[in-house]
Amino acid sequence: MRLPPQPSELIDRSSRVIFTFDGLHYGGHPGDTIGSALYANGQRIFSRSFKYHRPRGLLCCSGHCPNCLMTVDGVPNVRVCVEPIRQDAVVESQNVLGSLNRDLLSATDKFGGPFTPVGFYYRTMIRPRRLWPLYEKVLRNLAGLGKVGGATGHARRYDIEHRRARVLVVGGGRAGREAATAAAAEGPGVVLVDEDARHAGVELEGVEVLAPARALGIWEGNLVPVDCGTVLYRYRAERIVVATGALEQPLLFPGNDLVGVMLPSAARRLVRDFAIKPGSRAVVLAADERELEIADDLREAGVEVPRVVDLREMPLSRIDADSHKGRLHGVRLEGRGIRCDLLVVSAGRQPAYSLLAQAGGKVEYDPIKGIFVPTDLPESIEATGSVTGEGCMTVNPYRAEARKGHADKCFVCICEDVTTKDVSRAVAEGFDSIELSKRYTTVTMGPCQGKLCQLPSIRLYARSTGMSEASVGTTTARPPWAPVELGLLAGPHFETARRTAIHFRHEEVGARMMWAGPWKRPYAYGEKPEDEVRAVHESLGLIDVSTLGKILVEGPDAAALLERLYPNRFADMRPGRIRYGVLTSDGGRIMDDGTIGRLADDLYYVTTTSTGADSVTAWFEWWNAVWGYEAEIVNVTGALAALNLAGPLAREALQRLTEADVSDDELKYLDAKEIEVAGIPCLALRIGFVGELGYELHFPSPAGEFLWDRLVEGGARPFGLEPQRILRLEKGHVIIGQDTDSESNLLSANMAWLPKLEKEDFVGKLAVEHFSEREDRERLVGFAMEDDVVPAEGAQVVIEGQPAGRVTSARRSEVVGAVIGLAWLPPDRTSDGTRFEIRVDRRILGARVTSGAFYDSAGERMRS
Amino acid sequence: MTLSFLSPSRCQPGTTTSPLRRVLEDVDPAVVQDLWLDGKVEIRGDLGLVEPLAGEELVRLSPHRGFLFTQDDPAGAVERLRAQGVLAYDATGALAGFVVEGERLMRRLTDLDLDKLPTAGPFARVNAIVLRDNGERFRVYVAQEVGHDVALAVLDAVAGLERSS
Repeated sequence: MRLPPQPSELIDRSSRVIFTFDGLHYGGHPGDTIGSALYANGQRIFSRSFKYHRPRGLLCCSGHCPNCLMTVDGVPNVRVCVEPIRQDAVVESQNVLGSLNRDLLSATDKFGGPFTPVGFYYRTMIRPRRLWPLYEKVLRNLAGLGKVGGATGHARRYDIEHRRARVLVVGGGRAGREAATAAAAEGPGVVLVDEDARHAGVELEGVEVLAPARALGIWEGNLVPVDCGTVLYRYRAERIVVATGALEQPLLFPGNDLVGVMLPSAARRLVRDFAIKPGSRAVVLAADERELEIADDLREAGVEVPRVVDLREMPLSRIDADSHKGRLHGVRLEGRGIRCDLLVVSAGRQPAYSLLAQAGGKVEYDPIKGIFVPTDLPESIEATGSVTGEGCMTVNPYRAEARKGHADKCFVCICEDVTTKDVSRAVAEGFDSIELSKRYTTVTMGPCQGKLCQLPSIRLYARSTGMSEASVGTTTARPPWAPVELGLLAGPHFETARRTAIHFRHEEVGARMMWAGPWKRPYAYGEKPEDEVRAVHESLGLIDVSTLGKILVEGPDAAALLERLYPNRFADMRPGRIRYGVLTSDGGRIMDDGTIGRLADDLYYVTTTSTGADSVTAWFEWWNAVWGYEAEIVNVTGALAALNLAGPLAREALQRLTEADVSDDELKYLDAKEIEVAGIPCLALRIGFVGELGYELHFPSPAGEFLWDRLVEGGARPFGLEPQRILRLEKGHVIIGQDTDSESNLLSANMAWLPKLEKEDFVGKLAVEHFSEREDRERLVGFAMEDDVVPAEGAQVVIEGQPAGRVTSARRSEVVGAVIGLAWLPPDRTSDGTRFEIRVDRRILGARVTSGAFYDSAGERMRS
Repeated sequence: MTLSFLSPSRCQPGTTTSPLRRVLEDVDPAVVQDLWLDGKVEIRGDLGLVEPLAGEELVRLSPHRGFLFTQDDPAGAVERLRAQGVLAYDATGALAGFVVEGERLMRRLTDLDLDKLPTAGPFARVNAIVLRDNGERFRVYVAQEVGHDVALAVLDAVAGLERSS
């Protein structure tokens, strides 16, 4: 039922808006919130509480408390008291079994209280441990807020916009508007942010007004994310003025959460903004003039107000709310009962200082006013208005806890259903600081983020411990200050992949693409990777290796730099030659590997693993700066595409596309040479990872597709990562990061031939020397399975029934005729032919150590 | 060694393509314009020695590192710069580049201060070099291997702006 038109009402009575709530149609007016429209239609229960499933009604009507959380158009946890009404909106109650009026889970409130004290799940649901998943499922269904539907995340579009402001004013009340106007007089770049939709039309000269919009926090560098619904504005402000005002504080008394208990501002909004009579008979308990004025509003709205108590003048030692089916039907003040269906209560107003505390301001207790006030603000942060404590005070009129003989609960935190008993119990159990108590009881950790429960909980804690409020202090203020949708924080759905210049050619011929670190790479081009393997062994294969890291090292000290970075030698290489290198950390552990080609006396071309380019570049630059060498390190990974042409026909195929002589006389194994292939300038590297005659061509990436096409036309069959893994395993080649980990060193990884300990120095030399003097704990070896079963990567090696190692790679090889792999074994089990066992699923299968390569162990095919 | 294998301009005509070709082929250049033909040269050394010619623009990223953007042959610029005493590398193939119009669109993609360009910094969650020509015309260069996805992000931001306006 609506009141006659009110002078300040926001609704447009000339038109109607229809929406559904729990399947029924409801009507409202433009200007209504969903909450006000429901209230006007007689709905009083808006939600069920988090833990006890108690009925809850409108309390703050300002978007602060959890009492009106509903699912709107599939989006859970929407505060309908501030959510504008819209045509055809689908509104549903949440966290109920049955309906809002008859929630079967409310049995928790009636019977579960003694069995569900604070932290009960830490104590009563820990045995037997195997039942924890069941307990968890039950608890999650019994408690909680709304549920995110499967499609919810994709139903709305979210954007992020980065903005700058000279002055950002948070809060659009009187003080905020004055501050914004004053700042605008000094120049442009002033923005005012306010969460109240009523300020949407406010016009201030020279000020950009954002409303409804919520400042979520203040981060370092004066970063203020502002929630504008589907766009998150990330403001960087030279100066921030916080004018967030003050928050009415609830009173603690048994039954303080009943439907019909309301803060003064909520009752005022219902009357003034939405022309709704909030109740029939009201009692008002308040602690400042503004709050007490609500009595006049109520009377003008036709509400009978039998009692108004100014708590400053008449502190009450006892308040008890009486209920029927969760709804208020009376209140007893000092034992004297008054029948009412509306209890407007407030203990006064507490500055909303959270943003200031996040920004680094201190918060101190003012014992005269009974409030916490911000002090010592950072230089570029200001506070104005009620948030400074101006005009604020609170009262603490009585001992709050529920007394014996009174059945109802007294809530200190309505978000998390934390009662005064819970806090007392936490103190008794030894949680002797407010921060610990917060974590145990979860008080202040709910949707209101302490707006309504911080001060009452501190007071309760102070009384329980015999400390002063100032000594108890506040809990740490953390963002977000207001609830925010995770989708908004995430922004637009966007996941960058690194794609080679030939990426789309792979897709066009049906390659199955896979993630390889940050890259997208072909797994294989057909259903049978072994066909691609066979092509490489028997004729000609082509793989896109553009993902390899590629680094130029140039300068007079280039040779000296590499000589100290790598354990093996590079200063003695002739220009035009290539050498394999493994980078070690200071601790002698394997970091990365690749080839190093000397292109000129002062110029080297270094390749790294596909995921190592950035980290190796940074590593080189760091040491270059430390040692003060005159060398430049240039990461040219993206500038160059790279193709590996491999197979017995590789030379013939390459020769057809170039005038350069690529015979073994002119381009030997481990030679590097600039040649032109099909009109494309290339750096040709005569190297092979896959065990056959091979040429790696590095050339400008914009020509990637062109040269790929020419080589495929020339008879090369594309092969992907999976065939490459089989091929390299046949050669016993290690993949850093796959077969090694952060503990692996050159000696244990079977590369003792690589470090040159006679060198004066290299990164990790001391550690490698140390490794050489002690027995390895484990060693990487090749193995062949006795059965035709491929163990999983990471499969357990078993020796005499005990875990003794792990498999790092395993594949079936046609050319070897067995399942082969690499595994870490105890050193005394690594001699050729030693038998060991591997756990595969639930079976124990035999394998034998195979030293050296499985295929072409002399390397004749690569060198042919 | 000439390092010509770094230079797309040393490839025979008709052999090279833009990394953004597939994503921008149906896009109005007024929305996003592909700059892949622009020459880009990475410079190491004393940037004070570099004398840009007409049609060239030097962007300083640090005292000893910068990029020269040129409308002429970048390989030629590399040779000239090396003769001037700095190390230069043809980065034309390394970077995808495009023009976007509109400060608001840029603010959807980067938190860089648009009044303090050119600079290097985050753009659509990758590193970029961003230049402002005049008014609200911006040039953005990113690693070519992420260029396709970044261009998609730009188009998505354009769509987002159109929807919100």
